Amino acid sequence: MRSRNGNRPFILTHLALIATLSFGADNYYIGYRFTAKNTQAINEKLSISKAMQPCSQAISSPILILKRSSGESLQSLLEREESAFVEFAAAQELRVKNNESFSLQHSEIQNSLILPTRCYAVEFNNESVTIAATK
Amino acid sequence: MRISALLALFLTFPALHAGLFSADDSSETKVRCVYSGTDGSCVEPILKSQNELVITVTGQGVAPSVTSSPAQAYALAKRAAMADGYRQIAERVKGVQVEGQDTIKNMMLQQSSTKTSVDALVRGANITNTSFKEGLCEVEMEIALSYSRILH
Repeated sequence: MRSRNGNRPFILTHLALIATLSFGADNYYIGYRFTAKNTQAINEKLSISKAMQPCSQAISSPILILKRSSGESLQSLLEREESAFVEFAAAQELRVKNNESFSLQHSEIQNSLILPTRCYAVEFNNESVTIAATK
Repeated sequence: MRISALLALFLTFPALHAGLFSADDSSETKVRCVYSGTDGSCVEPILKSQNELVITVTGQGVAPSVTSSPAQAYALAKRAAMADGYRQIAERVKGVQVEGQDTIKNMMLQQSSTKTSVDALVRGANITNTSFKEGLCEVEMEIALSYSRILH
């Protein structure tokens, strides 16, 4: 039987994660752009840069935790786990650009997904990395 | 006589006032115009304040012909399907800009072209299902629209 305070450990862990991300994490600016032409991927670019000045300490609630091998940089980690990061960040905010042109001889469809460059709080642990967007 | 007439007027005026204004209030809550077209017609909002509107789309993407591994083909096809899904959401929520051009010479059609474009910022869309078969990836996506989400 579930206790009345069954959710307390989960809430406490979540609060602790947010607190450590707010005060003990590094800040990175991350942006992403993906372009598909005629429903086939033609270009993809992930841009990562360490923030030169600290960003806002307020953290938005969705948090992404990724497994990390020792000494692995954020760049290589996100290149490996790009799908997980894109799905995590896209659920929050994503820009869509679509251009289609049809004529008698030629037709072309081009879709672009753009994650606007924004600041993320990143906490490195021995075997994992915790990522959350700052507000 | 004069006092009783004054008293009657004093008592009936608030009742009339309340009746008039309550009738106005009820008509105001029934019809709310969100958009008046060129003919001045009133259009009721699709999204009501107490309801949530869920839009579901299916995006399709094809794996590139040259990839280094099946995993990369799957990842790229899924990403292309996501782009198509987001495009469909943006089309439904925000709309499409359409431009058409026809060139006619000596009463004959020389050239015809249509261009459409969508540009939108989407928040809170989720992938609900993914399938990959014979190089075609299909991604089911949904977005829930409500007043509370818009205000946040």
